[in-house]
Amino acid sequence: MTATVQNELETDVQVSLDGCARVALRGRLDSHATVACWKLLEQKLRPAKIKALEVDASGLQFCDGAGLALLRYLNMGRMTRGATVSVLGLEEELEKLFRGFTLEDYEAFRPPLRTESRSLPEEVGKEVSQLTADLREQVGFLGTIVANLPPTILDRKRMRWPEVRRVLELAGANAVPIVSLVSILVGLIIAFESAQPLAQFGAQIYVANMIGLVMVRELGPLLAAILLAGRSGSAFAAEIGTMKVNEELNALETLGLDPIRFLVVQRITAGVLLTPLLTFYATFMGVLGGVLVTLGLGYPLSLVFHQLSSSLQLSDVVFGATKGVVFGAIVSAVGCLRGLQTQQGPSAVGISTTRAVVTSILLIIIADAVFSVLFFVLKQ
Amino acid sequence: MNDSSEIIISVRDLKTGYGEKVILQNVSFQVRRGEVFVILGGSGCGKSTLLKNLIGLYTPMEGQVWIDGGNLVAAGEVERLVLLRKFGVMYQSGALFGSMTLLENVRLPLDEFTALPDPVKELVALAKLKLVGLGAAAQKMPSELSGGMQKRAAIARAMALDPQILFLDEPSAGLDPVTSAGLDLLIKELAHHFGITFVVVSHELASIYTIADRVIMLDSRTRTVIAEGRPAELRESATDPWVRRFFNREAESVQSDHPNQNL
Repeated sequence: MTATVQNELETDVQVSLDGCARVALRGRLDSHATVACWKLLEQKLRPAKIKALEVDASGLQFCDGAGLALLRYLNMGRMTRGATVSVLGLEEELEKLFRGFTLEDYEAFRPPLRTESRSLPEEVGKEVSQLTADLREQVGFLGTIVANLPPTILDRKRMRWPEVRRVLELAGANAVPIVSLVSILVGLIIAFESAQPLAQFGAQIYVANMIGLVMVRELGPLLAAILLAGRSGSAFAAEIGTMKVNEELNALETLGLDPIRFLVVQRITAGVLLTPLLTFYATFMGVLGGVLVTLGLGYPLSLVFHQLSSSLQLSDVVFGATKGVVFGAIVSAVGCLRGLQTQQGPSAVGISTTRAVVTSILLIIIADAVFSVLFFVLKQ
Repeated sequence: MNDSSEIIISVRDLKTGYGEKVILQNVSFQVRRGEVFVILGGSGCGKSTLLKNLIGLYTPMEGQVWIDGGNLVAAGEVERLVLLRKFGVMYQSGALFGSMTLLENVRLPLDEFTALPDPVKELVALAKLKLVGLGAAAQKMPSELSGGMQKRAAIARAMALDPQILFLDEPSAGLDPVTSAGLDLLIKELAHHFGITFVVVSHELASIYTIADRVIMLDSRTRTVIAEGRPAELRESATDPWVRRFFNREAESVQSDHPNQNL
């Protein structure tokens, strides 16, 4: 059997009936030729029962890394199970390179076979232990913050108020446009959707009452907090996470500066100061959206205003603001915690920001539920 | 093995910079096949900028970069890909992909640019890693390695497709003298055994004397090449005092208003 592969490489394959085979290579064995040569040899050698294979490489004018790898693969007997294989006639330089990587090297360096996947109970156990460890860390972090907050705030030199002002501007003032847009649209949508079923009972004017209550007590604080989590909680995590990856946190510690006092307290203070304001603003814009719809339905402004003021009490507003304070603390604390927990590696900061946003929103919703129950109990 | 007089890289009247600011101009030099060519100069003189022009990351303002008979600056998309395949680059930090093992890092160019069967690709990648002395670390992640090992792994990846030219950006930066000397030895071996042409950006005198066949020296004041030749010759007979000082490692005060400081 004789065959020729194009691409400036000639490959002669002879398989005799007694199980002896001979492959002669002539020309350039580069990475292109290797591909074609491999296919040909797979076709001819793999199905045949071969006891001894002789590869004659004396005709090779050029051989690159891929070609040498092919020769080594043949030499390791991978294409001809159980056969003795010899590679002969390599030029001196190539022979040296060929001997530079042997079967023993391959056995030692090759990837280990994939280990079996873990069993279900093991997987569950691992997750639960990770979850509890994370929870413990969160509680510990809360304790550290509570312990550090008052002394740092009272110490004017340590507090770094300019940093607080910078965060207030970045996370607060710069968030106004997006908060405006989202809140006004949410107000519009809710008012518009509820106006249709209420019309069946001739009760469209109560859209104003509803939008007032919903916005002040629920959606205002929630919208502000969720936008804060997406815009600023993630930014805190990324900022502190990058500092950790760049060893800036280590530098702070060795300078005798506690990262909690130097970075975290300022952000939490800013978050707590900022969120009630953002909450009021989001509430106002949401109500404005609802009012626009009721005006569009043909009710006069004075009537709408009367409905709004009769449905709302001061306690509702205080309640909304309290939520804002708590949500602000949650978002900024979680953002900072996730930043401090950042591991090494290129994807670490990305993971931290994702975890910051997910945990923030989760905790906000849980806190919101707790608040609802509290409010119900207090009203009784 | 190779014809030593054959020119493989030719830079003609290169002018480059950022925006309006010119960093280098009138830069012309030639690199011969199989030699170790070192680009050196003080901090901030444009060594790395020149390298980025040579490997096609930046387009020069003026001038040409010829690599093995093709003009990298004027090449169309297809021709450019062909030219890019002729060289490998080791970046200063190694630039290994952090989410892959060393083996996967070295295999990546083979996976992307060749149709080789998997076992062959694996063998090629392992052989390259062994060549740089990292066979046993094939399954490790880059973050588990020391700086010197990362650089060697980066050389293995740059060599995956058997390029004719290797560009190395500051191979000895941040390494201890022993590791650095080991890397120099590796460069010498690769140049000798494989006939690979090396273009190395460096300012480590010790390594320059060991590896360099020829050097060019850049200067931030004149923004061009101020010296070219063999390092030992330049040490003895350079006319420019700054060049002689550099090669004899004479100290100068950081505060002194030396023309070579580009602040």
